[in-house]
Amino acid sequence: MILPLQRQNSGKSGNLAAIQRLNKTPELNPPYNPSMAHKSPTYNLLTADRLIDAKGGPPIQNGAVLTRDSEILAVGSAYEIRAPEGASVTNHHYPGATILPGMVDCHTHNNGFGDGRNGQDLAALPDEILTLQSASNARRSLFSGVTTIRENGPKNMTMFRLRDAINEGLTIGPRMILCGRPVSIIGGHMGYFGGEVTGIDECRAFTRQLIKEGADYIKITATGGSTPSSFPLRPAFNLDELKAVTDEAHKFGKLTATHSTSTKGVINSLDANVDMIIHCVYKEPDDTDNFRVDVAERIGEQGAYVNPTLHVGRSKIWSLTQKNRAFGITEQESIELDTAKRELETRLDQNRRMIEMGVKVITGSDSSWGDYQLGNTVYETELLVHAGYSHMQGVLSVTKWASEALGVNDIVGTLEPGKQADILVVDGDPSKNVNDLWNVTDVFFKGENLDRGSEESLSAVRQTPEEINLGSHHSHGGHK
Amino acid sequence: MSDGNPQFTILKAARLVDGNGGPVAEQAAILLEGDTIRQIGTKETVQAPEGASATEIDYGDATILPGLVDCHVHLIGIGDGRAGDDLVTLPDEVLTVQAAQNVRKHLYSGVTTVRDCGAKNRTTFLLREAVEMDIVASPRLILAGRPIAIIGGHLSYFGTTATGPTECRAAVRQLIKEGADFIKVTATGGSTRTSHPSRPSFNIDEFSAITDEAHKFGKHVCAHCTSSGGMENALEAGIDTMIHGVHRDFNGNDSYRPDISERIAEQGVFVNPTLGQGLARIRQLEDNPDLVLETEDIDVMRSGSEVRMDHVARMRDAGVVMVAGSDSAWANYPMGDFQTEIEAHVMAGMSNMEAIVSATRDSAVSCRVDDIVGTLEVGKQADVLVVDGDPTRDIADLRNVHDVFLAGSKIDRHNLV
Repeated sequence: MILPLQRQNSGKSGNLAAIQRLNKTPELNPPYNPSMAHKSPTYNLLTADRLIDAKGGPPIQNGAVLTRDSEILAVGSAYEIRAPEGASVTNHHYPGATILPGMVDCHTHNNGFGDGRNGQDLAALPDEILTLQSASNARRSLFSGVTTIRENGPKNMTMFRLRDAINEGLTIGPRMILCGRPVSIIGGHMGYFGGEVTGIDECRAFTRQLIKEGADYIKITATGGSTPSSFPLRPAFNLDELKAVTDEAHKFGKLTATHSTSTKGVINSLDANVDMIIHCVYKEPDDTDNFRVDVAERIGEQGAYVNPTLHVGRSKIWSLTQKNRAFGITEQESIELDTAKRELETRLDQNRRMIEMGVKVITGSDSSWGDYQLGNTVYETELLVHAGYSHMQGVLSVTKWASEALGVNDIVGTLEPGKQADILVVDGDPSKNVNDLWNVTDVFFKGENLDRGSEESLSAVRQTPEEINLGSHHSHGGHK
Repeated sequence: MSDGNPQFTILKAARLVDGNGGPVAEQAAILLEGDTIRQIGTKETVQAPEGASATEIDYGDATILPGLVDCHVHLIGIGDGRAGDDLVTLPDEVLTVQAAQNVRKHLYSGVTTVRDCGAKNRTTFLLREAVEMDIVASPRLILAGRPIAIIGGHLSYFGTTATGPTECRAAVRQLIKEGADFIKVTATGGSTRTSHPSRPSFNIDEFSAITDEAHKFGKHVCAHCTSSGGMENALEAGIDTMIHGVHRDFNGNDSYRPDISERIAEQGVFVNPTLGQGLARIRQLEDNPDLVLETEDIDVMRSGSEVRMDHVARMRDAGVVMVAGSDSAWANYPMGDFQTEIEAHVMAGMSNMEAIVSATRDSAVSCRVDDIVGTLEVGKQADVLVVDGDPTRDIADLRNVHDVFLAGSKIDRHNLV
């Protein structure tokens, strides 16, 4: 198999370096702020007990970040960072808090409700209603500290329309990296969103169509999934079709990501040189779990990112547990609950092994899908810590590494001069306890301290956790 | 009602205005049970039934009023000065997002019922679905869907034009099928580039077909009229609310017609003069003279506004009932500021109390929802506005919104999700 883009790169970075050379990062959601045009620059100086720049080192004690309009001007010690002489600067001091980059969630479904409804029922709603739900979900993300999302599959033009509305200044949302619609086979997973194709030519044509409409990357369902007419344990596209999509996408500097819920789908994705493997479930066609070290090694060698989406499974456990307590559950639901618990343990174990092997596992919530609602990204990060990351690595998985996986690390993902001023302030120290990412004090987006509304409305966004036993051999982790 | 709330709520304040125009009740209280008003009286007399617990809020030096009823909005509007012809080039999904932001702003500013007088395609109907699905917080919605226009007529770009009585009937039936609560007709041209604001649009036979068909199904009819010819046709066809109600001849010259005013009064037609539109723009330009466009002259706007206010005063003298409807977010008038329209009514000669009645009871009557909202009366829906101060003494106090209750639920006015 000839993998031209990979062949040019000797290191572990796979397609990404090549893609990034090709891909001049678009200005995602250019700021709508006509008043800024006439004004002298606005400076913000943020200081806190510590600052995580997410470049990989330890937190800077008594850290500070200085912003000018939408950009970061300086990052370092509060004793050294000063605004320019005579500049009008607004000071924000946060005792007991940590300053860090705004979070990057590399897997959202903005159309979704996260109320347990399935995808086909979701897709039956009119586009206007899905766009409204997407707008609300976008605000949920942003107010929870997620300043960049990669949306993984909406219906028709809904997310492009939301982007239009944001660009018109009608509503606000995080930076959005969009696929338009997922590319699916006939009857395949998420085919109901409007992107079913067959054969090399249709695959190419549809990729071009999505890029024409404004897609920033291409999402492909490489296996079936929860869609009833699909086969989650079987590959969807043939390899030639899959390669037609990835080649076409890469030609235009667009990254690709595949939904893969079985091993053959993962292997096909690797053969097609996919940049991110979503779910990355190691399952044989007969539903047996079988962690394939060889496949995991290949993922590492090719430098593909893995977005395991662990919490969407746990959220089902939580909702069934809560339902059981409130009303009781059916026998069928009881079986589903047991299966979900077993699957979560298996998946945690598989991801622990991938993390140990050095595979780049990153945070992507998969909300709002299933029972998992947007605005709760931290639950996914917490599970990655449970799967073996240190708390600091958990933070990197939802900042620096996620931004690298999306090819937007030149503008966001770390706190560095010249990058966009997407900044999160939380009480506590998430490098010691990743759950402190919940304690959002302020969110700066493009240099602006956001009005996030009432505490009451923000706390209503957070889903209620359940204590569940994830097996005795998992001794550490982020549970509180 | 939201979960866990007690069933009874008692609101107390120094004053209560029930929306009927009578004297202000002092040291007043109102008892809400779920979504319904159960009792109105003084702080001493109002209490929950024996054995029931009630949440009590004493607002002190404040005034309790009915939630405001804005009988004329355009929910898809942006209010940034763009023409309707340009607004409609935005995709329906984008316009629906804007409508969702607009209803929230209006609700948070104290308006608990709106009548939308024209939107593109199915956008407002789909907004209503989203409200029913709890995706969007909104006042009660009274919807026209698309206005009915002649070819090239005002607002024809929203998607419904009709020619001849048969098409007019079909248009009414189609809108009612889609969920229209009333019918909006553009009886003259307007700001639409291809239309003629000083000339009537529909002929009488077409117009009558529309009103007859609407009335047959119990739906009322509102007509946009920016000239006397349009008003005469609208009256002939038997409309229910006259929008703008501009006394202007075929050549566009202001010319007050007492005979038309008398007929409006006789037929019991409401007039929504939309004075707030002009006032909102004049205030913007006074605050920020840099914004004056080449096509604008603030003195001309002021004198135009004075003429309209004078005509309104004369219509009222003739017995015409004026109802407050902001016409936002059309032109330069963003939503969330119905108060400007109410203030314009005061400037046109109404007492503060009369202006409040025009924005509560009378507006609700014109919208045919006065059986459930518009006044604070036992048995009606608990749509309640609480403002600090006393708007019967200073109308600007209507801006000091303290709390808004919709169907008995206190709105979190700082929920931005």
